[in-house]
Amino acid sequence: MAPVIDIKNITKEFKVLNRREGLAGSIKDLFSRDYKIVKAVDNITMSIGQGEIVGYLGPNGAGKSTTIKMMTGVLEPTSGEILVNGKLPYRNRSKNAQNIGVVFGQRSQLWWALPLVESFKLLKDIYQISDEQYDGMMKLYQSLVDIEPLLHKPVRQMSLGQRTLSDILAAFLHDPKIVFLDEPTIGLDVSMKAKIRTLIHALNKEKNTTVILTTHDMGDVDALCRRIVIIDKGRMLYDNDISHLKGFFGSYRTLKIRVDGDLSKESAVIAKEFPEFKVSADDEWISLLVDEEKSTIMDVFTGLQKKRRISDMQLEEISTEDVIRKIYEEGVK
Amino acid sequence: MKRKGLLFYIKLYCKILSQDLKSKMSYRADFIISTIGMIFTNIAGFVSFWIMFRNFSSINGWGYHEMLFLYGFSLVSLTPAQCFFDNNWSLRNYVYTGDFIKYCFRPINLFFYYQSEVFDVKGLGQLAFGLGTVIYSWIKLGLGFTPLMVLKMTVFLLTASLVMIALQTAAAATCFWINNSFYVLDLAYKFRDYAKYPITIFSPVFRTIFTFIIPIAFISYYPSLVILRPDEVPLLSWLSPVFGIAFFYIAYRIWMFGALKYNGTGS
Repeated sequence: MAPVIDIKNITKEFKVLNRREGLAGSIKDLFSRDYKIVKAVDNITMSIGQGEIVGYLGPNGAGKSTTIKMMTGVLEPTSGEILVNGKLPYRNRSKNAQNIGVVFGQRSQLWWALPLVESFKLLKDIYQISDEQYDGMMKLYQSLVDIEPLLHKPVRQMSLGQRTLSDILAAFLHDPKIVFLDEPTIGLDVSMKAKIRTLIHALNKEKNTTVILTTHDMGDVDALCRRIVIIDKGRMLYDNDISHLKGFFGSYRTLKIRVDGDLSKESAVIAKEFPEFKVSADDEWISLLVDEEKSTIMDVFTGLQKKRRISDMQLEEISTEDVIRKIYEEGVK
Repeated sequence: MKRKGLLFYIKLYCKILSQDLKSKMSYRADFIISTIGMIFTNIAGFVSFWIMFRNFSSINGWGYHEMLFLYGFSLVSLTPAQCFFDNNWSLRNYVYTGDFIKYCFRPINLFFYYQSEVFDVKGLGQLAFGLGTVIYSWIKLGLGFTPLMVLKMTVFLLTASLVMIALQTAAAATCFWINNSFYVLDLAYKFRDYAKYPITIFSPVFRTIFTFIIPIAFISYYPSLVILRPDEVPLLSWLSPVFGIAFFYIAYRIWMFGALKYNGTGS
C-alpha cells in the first residue's frame, strides 16, 4: 500500500542573525549581514502508512513543529522531497488542507464566539461535506462522547478540556486521511486526558485515519502509539515500534528498597557500593536503575541485604518515560 | 471537491456574518457602548469641521457644502474597511504570538478566511452619519437627481472604499516583516483624515504622494469630482475605479505574500 506520508531526506534551514549584546550591539545588528544557518530539520526520512498512529517525540526545540509545518504545507523544505497523499504539500496547500486535520493543544481553530454546532456547520460548508457524511459523523461522535452539552455552548465559554475535545472532533469532521495532533493533552486533568485518548483511538479505528501525535506526555504514547519517531536537534534518533524501545538500552529495571535510618545518607553509601548503577532517593524509597546485562536483580538485592536490613522492596519495569528521557539526555549510541 | 468560486465565498460570508451578529447581539452592553463611542467620535469630527468653516467661508475655492459633501463621501467610503476588514488591526498580534498559524490549515482563501472572522458593527453608525451628510449637502448644492447619478455615485463610492481597504491591508501586512508594525497601521489610519480635504490645498509634492504612493486622494477627492464638478472632471477622476481595483489587488498580493511565507513561532 502506498504511504500517505512519504518523506525523503528533508532538511529545513533557517537564517538567523548573529545577535550582539547590549545597546551598541543591537545598533550594529541593524546593519549586520552576519547570518548563521541553523538546521531545524536535518536529513529526515520516513514513511507513514494509512491508519497508523505515530508518536512524534523529541525535546523542546528538536524540530518537531518544523517537520509538522512542512507536512501541512506551511513551510517549504530547503531540500529533500515530501509527499502527502501523493502531492507536494507546499505547492498544493489548499488541496492538502482538504485531506488533513490539524489540532494545536493550545490554539483553538474554532470560531471563538460561536456555539460548537455552528462551527461544525461552517466547517461543513468550508470542506463541502455532504449531508450524509455530516450526519454520519455526528452519529459517530454521539456514540463516542457526550457531545450534547457541548454543541450549544460558545467555544469561549468552554473549559480547556472541552475545547480540546471540540477541536479534535472538528479536525476529524471532514474525514481527512491524516490528522496532526500537536500536544492534544497539554494542561488537561487525568480524566480528561483519558477521555481524549479513548476518543483519538476510537476515531482512528473507525475511520482508519492516520494520526501524527506530538506530545511530551508518555501516557499518550503508551495509550495510543505502536510506532514512535524520536528526533533531536533536527536529526532522527529512533523510528521503530514502541516495544523495541524498552530493550533499546539493554534491559533495565528499577529496584526500590526501604531501609531504616536516613535514606539520603544510605543512598550515598549504596552509590559507592554499586558505582555502575544510578542510585537516587526520595522520602520513601531508594531506587537503583539496574542494567541486567551487567548483573541480575537478585545479585544486587543479595549484595544490598548483606550490609543492611531491608524492610520493604519493589521492582519496577522501566517506563517509556524513562527510556525517552535517557534518549533525550544521552542520545543513541 | 467542487471549485470554490465567488458564489461559494459570498454564501459562506453571509453564514459567518449572520452567526457572528447573532452572538454579538447577546452582548448588548458592549454593542450599545461601542455604538455610542462611534457616534461621539463622529460628532467630534464634525464639530471641528464646523468650527473651521465658521472662520473660513471657503477653502481654495471649495464652499461649505462642497466640503461637507467631501466629508460625507469619505465617511461612507471608509465604512467597508471599518466593517469588513477590521481584523487587520489584530493581525500583528496573531503574527507575533504565532496564533496566525491556525488560519493556515483551511482549504479556502487565506485572506478571505482571516478577514471573515470579524465584522465590526460600529462601522454602520459611521455609514448612517456619512450618508446623512452626503444627502444633506447633495440637496443644499442642488445637484439634481437622476438614476445615472445614483449609479455613478455607487460605483465611485465602492471603488473609493477599495482604496482605503488597500491602504489598511497593505499597512497591516507590514507585520509579516517588522515586529512593531502598529505605527504603520496607525499612520495609515491617520492619513484618512487628509482624505476629507480637496487635494489642491496641498503642495505639489504631497499631491503626488497622496495620488500615487499613499493614494488617499482616491478615497474622496477624485471620485467626488465626478458628482460635484461634472464640467471639469480630470482624467484621474474617471480612472479612480481602475486605481481602486489596482491598489486593492496590489495590497492583497502583498498581504498574501507575507502570509504564505509566514513561519510561525515555536510551540
